[in-house]
Amino acid sequence: MALSRADRTQGRAATLRAFVAEVGGIRQQRWGNGWGYAFVAPALLAYLTFNVWPMFRGFAMAFTDYRFLIPNSEWSFNGLDNFVEMASDETFWHSFVVSLKFTAMTLPTGIVAALVAAILISRVSHRRAAAFYRWIVYLPVTMPVAVVMLMWRQMYHRDLGYLNLLLRWLGVANPPNWLGSADWVLPSIAAAELWRTFGFATLLFLIGIYGMNRELFEAAAIDGASGWQQVLSLTIPLLKPIFVLILVLSAGVASATEQMLLITNPPGSPENAALTTGLYLFMQAFQFGDMRLGYAAAMSLVLGLLHIALASLVFVTMRTERD
Amino acid sequence: MSVARTGAPIGDVARARAWRWPSLSQVGFNLALVGFSLVVLVPLVWMVSSSLKTPEEYYQRVPSLWVAKPTLINYVYMWTRGGKVPLFMANSVIVTVGAVSLQVLMASLAGYAFARLDFRGRDALFLAIVVSMFIPRSGGLMALYELMSFLHLRNNLFGLVLLFGAGLPVPIFIMRQTFLAMPRELEDAARMDGASWWQLFWRIAVPLGASGMVVIAIIGFVYVWGEYLVTFTMVDNEQLLTISVAARTLLVGGSAQGWVAPQQQFLDKFATEAADAALLLMAVAPVILVYLFLQRWFVRGLTEGVLKL
Repeated sequence: MALSRADRTQGRAATLRAFVAEVGGIRQQRWGNGWGYAFVAPALLAYLTFNVWPMFRGFAMAFTDYRFLIPNSEWSFNGLDNFVEMASDETFWHSFVVSLKFTAMTLPTGIVAALVAAILISRVSHRRAAAFYRWIVYLPVTMPVAVVMLMWRQMYHRDLGYLNLLLRWLGVANPPNWLGSADWVLPSIAAAELWRTFGFATLLFLIGIYGMNRELFEAAAIDGASGWQQVLSLTIPLLKPIFVLILVLSAGVASATEQMLLITNPPGSPENAALTTGLYLFMQAFQFGDMRLGYAAAMSLVLGLLHIALASLVFVTMRTERD
Repeated sequence: MSVARTGAPIGDVARARAWRWPSLSQVGFNLALVGFSLVVLVPLVWMVSSSLKTPEEYYQRVPSLWVAKPTLINYVYMWTRGGKVPLFMANSVIVTVGAVSLQVLMASLAGYAFARLDFRGRDALFLAIVVSMFIPRSGGLMALYELMSFLHLRNNLFGLVLLFGAGLPVPIFIMRQTFLAMPRELEDAARMDGASWWQLFWRIAVPLGASGMVVIAIIGFVYVWGEYLVTFTMVDNEQLLTISVAARTLLVGGSAQGWVAPQQQFLDKFATEAADAALLLMAVAPVILVYLFLQRWFVRGLTEGVLKL
């Protein structure tokens, strides 16, 4: 079970190959059961309209000077002008750095925290206790992002927030104004985001650990491997496919648009210290001047490419380590 | 470490009773687990306790999670204020129920076809849907804005239903798995008796595939109820906001950046921040209830959906 899952490291590549093979084989197939098309049609129509079309349209938009409030600008292609403009847009570069910092604060810490939590929970032998910890750890993931971020906004309140009440009670005379200081705002939001999301990775890791072959661990224990050695040389290597999956699924980290919209007021404040690229492009598209959807789409494309680069980097390193 | 493995030193074994002092690593292990749980729970418990506090108690400014004189005034105030909260809750229910029903219906039909009906290009189509999930939707939000404006579906609850109902790859994937795992014999027998494919789907596949439908319905419910960015972008009309999006505008407390004195007329009745806590808890209550009673289905959703992708 565990090993078969480990073999699926290249699962997505295999899916792609299977897809290509299937397309090649269509010519030899008979039309078969026509009902199939009727059954698939509603789903396909909805998916094509609201998912596939925006994917292509969003890509094309990145190469236009589309301003929603300027009539007939939707197909005004301007080549790479958006990217040229971006290169000299200081706010963009600032936001890009903020995004990278935010990703660096949330992604590695989140994965490590999730891994630690999963390993701890997997070693709880009492069934009910383990179920309780699993319940707790996934609870924040189910909560609406708005509720979580607004709750943390209250937690971080300078005078009445629980965090500062606690710090004062512990004797800290002047606790930081978390969301009001340019130095603290990003780590504070990163901590809130971590609180919100780490349970997802934890549960994925846990499912992976529970699915592992117990005999491997028993054999290791007989050979004298301590708990730590088992974790380092068995658990973590066997969880690699899940590492990759989590990284692929964490596509939205760098943009962090809704989090910033919710927790900072005005968005990105203070001193634009929380202005991520996702937030900046959202404001360019929907809040500034003539709604520059084209420029925003171009920035979004840069974020997408960044994510693909990151994911393939991880993918390649993990694969070479395996060989 | 070795102490943890081998237990107490040999000399003590004779004296060992039912209970022994836990070893150091056991203590550390349990402390770490309790620590994790506290980090998750304390903010939530603080919200609950704040929401039950009277202004005297709230403004005492002590980090106490205990409520001496619990009151429901914060909830009553937030629920009745201008009748807005019930309206936003109703909007959320309409969008969530609509989108989830649509998802379940369409994903079941398609999943059944992908699992059982033999038609040309079936597997290619299915794999195309799976592969397409992993392509980043760059500029997707801007393209959606244009699309929804063009279709006159902005500021329209039905538009949100369609939009969220179309999030289909994972549901289709799960339904296909569910139907593939069904025994074929029943369908073959019904087929011999001359049942149509529609009857086969409706009478046999739907009842047998109910577990898969519950899984996708729960995933869909949690997602749509909590969705923020797309709803925020597609709805400007204040009457049509969902509770998750409206929560931010309904807050009455001071800004996070600093202290703002509570409005005088409320000062003696309730603390504004406590009322905000009550509002947030009302917005999250349906999700927590579903999670409380149906937790195992969430795990199934992850094992059958996400992990098999």
